[in-house]
Amino acid sequence: MNVKVYSTPTCPWCHKVKDFLKANKVEFTEVNVAEDSEGRTEMIEKSEQMGVPVVSVDDSVVIGYDEVKLKELLKL
Amino acid sequence: MYDVIIIGSGMAGLTAAIYASRKRMKYELIAGEFGGQFMESGEVLNYPGIVKTTGVELSSVMQEQLDFNSVKPKLEWVSTVEKIGRDFIVKTDKEEYKTKTVIVATGARHRKLNVPGEERLAKKGVVYCSICDGPLFSGLDVAIVGGGNSALEAVDFMKDIANKIYLIVRGPEFTAHEYLIEKVNANPKVEVLFNADTKEVLGKKFVSGIKLEKHGMMRELAVGGVIVEIGLIPNTDFVKGLVSLDEHGHIDINCKTESNVPGIFAAGDCASGHEYQYVIAAGQGCMALIKAARYLANRD
Repeated sequence: MNVKVYSTPTCPWCHKVKDFLKANKVEFTEVNVAEDSEGRTEMIEKSEQMGVPVVSVDDSVVIGYDEVKLKELLKL
Repeated sequence: MYDVIIIGSGMAGLTAAIYASRKRMKYELIAGEFGGQFMESGEVLNYPGIVKTTGVELSSVMQEQLDFNSVKPKLEWVSTVEKIGRDFIVKTDKEEYKTKTVIVATGARHRKLNVPGEERLAKKGVVYCSICDGPLFSGLDVAIVGGGNSALEAVDFMKDIANKIYLIVRGPEFTAHEYLIEKVNANPKVEVLFNADTKEVLGKKFVSGIKLEKHGMMRELAVGGVIVEIGLIPNTDFVKGLVSLDEHGHIDINCKTESNVPGIFAAGDCASGHEYQYVIAAGQGCMALIKAARYLANRD
């Protein structure tokens, strides 16, 4: 499974998402959209919005910290 | 039958729960999600005993303190509180709790502008939490709407991120702490527009501007982001009709945190103090629990 977390360093819910993934031993790539402008564009195109965090799991996208949806997609 | 049901897990509710646990009362702490507005606070520089922290740090310290005191919040959404004789039934999406007293500490949520374009462009350039979503506006011109502490804190947070900041204040002056006003006035990136009323958020797929009325004249500003910080609405809908609310929907309390219904107490941002500070919420949470315990001791 290809998991990507689009986040900013100051966003509290982004920390929560990352902590959740780490606690469940899910490997993920992190994109800091505050600095990485290509990553930002990619996130906006994928999620059609500008709020963080965004988590992509293969072709699916989860906007915000949504534990229920993440568990379902990651089969936890 | 519980001694007390504490509703809400922000600073006020957590403080009440810590005291309830230490007093060995029969209680539950119920909240739809953990942590209240901790997750939206940037720097916290005025909490007594802590020189400098952030909302997230404070939240993790509080979590540790809950663990230390064996407080385990129940993550359930409260739908109603009913008065049965002199007791109460707190109904959630999962359970019902019969209790002798209730502490309402449900905090407040962001007030919206209620103008065209706002809802359609939410999260597409319209945001309510600058530390969460503000960095997405890196290098862009932004508008921050509001003239209170939260708006001026948002300006301070955005000063190294945005290109230019329009600060749109509906009234003739700021209603914020002096140190924040000094910071804003010293910032050359900020253009302050007083007496400016936001009329519309503009943009097709994403925000491209904001429309204002100032002294009867319409003006459009080209911005890539709109940060709305115009105050809070108390989360008290579920007790409407049960307790007396003030004109803004806060639960009317006296200096003992008592509502007009014996056995129901309120603390923090949902109560009628109208000053949204962690230290006030903590103090009121403590007061509410102690007064609830005293009420129980006196009622039989």
